[in-house]
Amino acid sequence: MTKLAINHVNKTYADGTEALRDIRVHANEGEIVAILGGSGCGKTTLLRLVAGLDRPSSGAILVGGEPIEGTHKTISAVFQEPRLLPWLRVAANIEFGGQLLDTTERQRRAAALLERIGLAGYGGRWPRDLSGGQQQRVAIARALIGHPGVLLLDEPFSALDPFTRASLHQLVLGLWAELKPTILMVTHDVDEAVTLADRIVIMRPKPGRVHETMAVDLPRPRDRLASPFDLMKRRVMRSIDRSLAEDLPTSPKPLGPGGTSPWL
Amino acid sequence: MKPLAARPWLTGLIIPVVLGVTWELTVRTGVMTGRLMPPPSRLLDSAITLARSGELGLHVAATMTRIGLGFLFGAAAGTLMGVLTGASGLAMRLLDPSIQALRAIPSLAWVPLFILWLGIFETSKLALIAMGVFFPVYLGVLSAIQNVDRKLIEVGRVFGLSTTGIAIRITGPAVMPAWFAALRTGLGLGFMFVVAAELMGASEGLGYMLLDGQQMGRADTILVAMIVFALLGKACDSILVAISVPLLRWQDTVRARL
Ligand SMILES: Nc1ncnc2c1ncn2[C@@H]1O[C@H](COP(=O)(O)OP(=O)(O)OP(=O)(O)O)[C@@H](O)[C@H]1O
Ligand SMILES: [Mg+2]
Repeated sequence: MTKLAINHVNKTYADGTEALRDIRVHANEGEIVAILGGSGCGKTTLLRLVAGLDRPSSGAILVGGEPIEGTHKTISAVFQEPRLLPWLRVAANIEFGGQLLDTTERQRRAAALLERIGLAGYGGRWPRDLSGGQQQRVAIARALIGHPGVLLLDEPFSALDPFTRASLHQLVLGLWAELKPTILMVTHDVDEAVTLADRIVIMRPKPGRVHETMAVDLPRPRDRLASPFDLMKRRVMRSIDRSLAEDLPTSPKPLGPGGTSPWL
Repeated sequence: MKPLAARPWLTGLIIPVVLGVTWELTVRTGVMTGRLMPPPSRLLDSAITLARSGELGLHVAATMTRIGLGFLFGAAAGTLMGVLTGASGLAMRLLDPSIQALRAIPSLAWVPLFILWLGIFETSKLALIAMGVFFPVYLGVLSAIQNVDRKLIEVGRVFGLSTTGIAIRITGPAVMPAWFAALRTGLGLGFMFVVAAELMGASEGLGYMLLDGQQMGRADTILVAMIVFALLGKACDSILVAISVPLLRWQDTVRARL
């Protein structure tokens, strides 16, 4: 069942920048969809629209069949930076994500999540006293404490070293397996997309458009050293190469299998 | 004995102590009379005499009442106006230009008008002090609100906070450090203006002591008043800092880590 539907979304900023053109992305209940694209192709813009922090110029975004108007209680997010509130201690930062929970439940879940993200005993610390990777773990816990239906991830691992990144991938996958939120994540890392996603949406810039959507039919847990994984990565990279080759900014092309562009 | 380096605050005492001792010796040996610049021992004598007679206490109480009330009014008004203009674009466009225009008038230029309107007694003094406190607090609060990190506001929005919730749980704490800094600046100006207010005519207060000392040719009275002003100012500032420390412990600053 479709949990999240982004239908023909366009976004042009007030200064005339056309950031997104006719974006169509669907995510089923409990699915992980990765949006893959280079810098400036509108990934953050798209996530901000889904989060309700900004409005599309046209088109609609549906969650569970309902169009979203502003922020939505079932949608939660981890940003490109941890964005912890510096005046709240770590445990209180996690609890901040559970605005709708009653106090005891919120504290219970925060304690459980602290344990789950490997930071048991860190609840009383200030965010400033955590490493970048630890802060991002706290941000993930904060995003999940309210058991959101949709989790948005905006390159939350891009600033981290490969060791930390791999361990956070495992953390996210583990929590996803427990809570089964629909995840829409943004990345520019092919390896990350193939590791995590059920489907990969490749975007092209200027204006941001969907170039191709690919299913990742690899069983979980995924073996990053096995050849099917490499094969999938190669398919994705080939698609990226094609998108770069075809990147003539003004020539629209049919989008996705069987899809026709409205401009033709 | 510990070396000087182990107690860095001692270093700061070297110059005043050396100067004080030198001056004391100069006067004691009769090289100078010390009439216009009494030596430390005579200052101490005067201070003790003034304190014993209850005179000093009276002046301190009068000055502190003025500072306290003036600061309270000025800080409250500055904070309220800062919050109002910071929170509402309409209030900003409506009020800020007028406030900025008033700020362009040097505050002491108000003295004659205040006296004319409010009389020579307490009200005009409080108005002057409150005005001195108002502007730095207003500006500090307003600019702090305008500079709150948009990214943290977005966190509040994503996790479902209402506008009021964001104001209380994000903007409020985010503004706190700048608010305390503004209050400290305001307090400093408050002390400046209490002197001005008391010099413009008062029958009690440390400012009156200054004026009285001048008219009586008592340099020691003037100096005692000046020193007491310094001590009171420092004490009030320390109280503000002491209040702020537990509230700002989260800050990732050098001071917070001391
Ligand atoms: N508030 C804004 N006003 C005007 N233009 C904007 C605004 N925000 C983003 N843009 C423009 O929209 C385009 C897409 O930006 P966006 O931040 O969504 O890219 P991105 O894919 O997230 O890039 P990155 O990988 O570097 O984070 C860019 O050309 C950018 O300059
Ligand atoms: Mg981005």
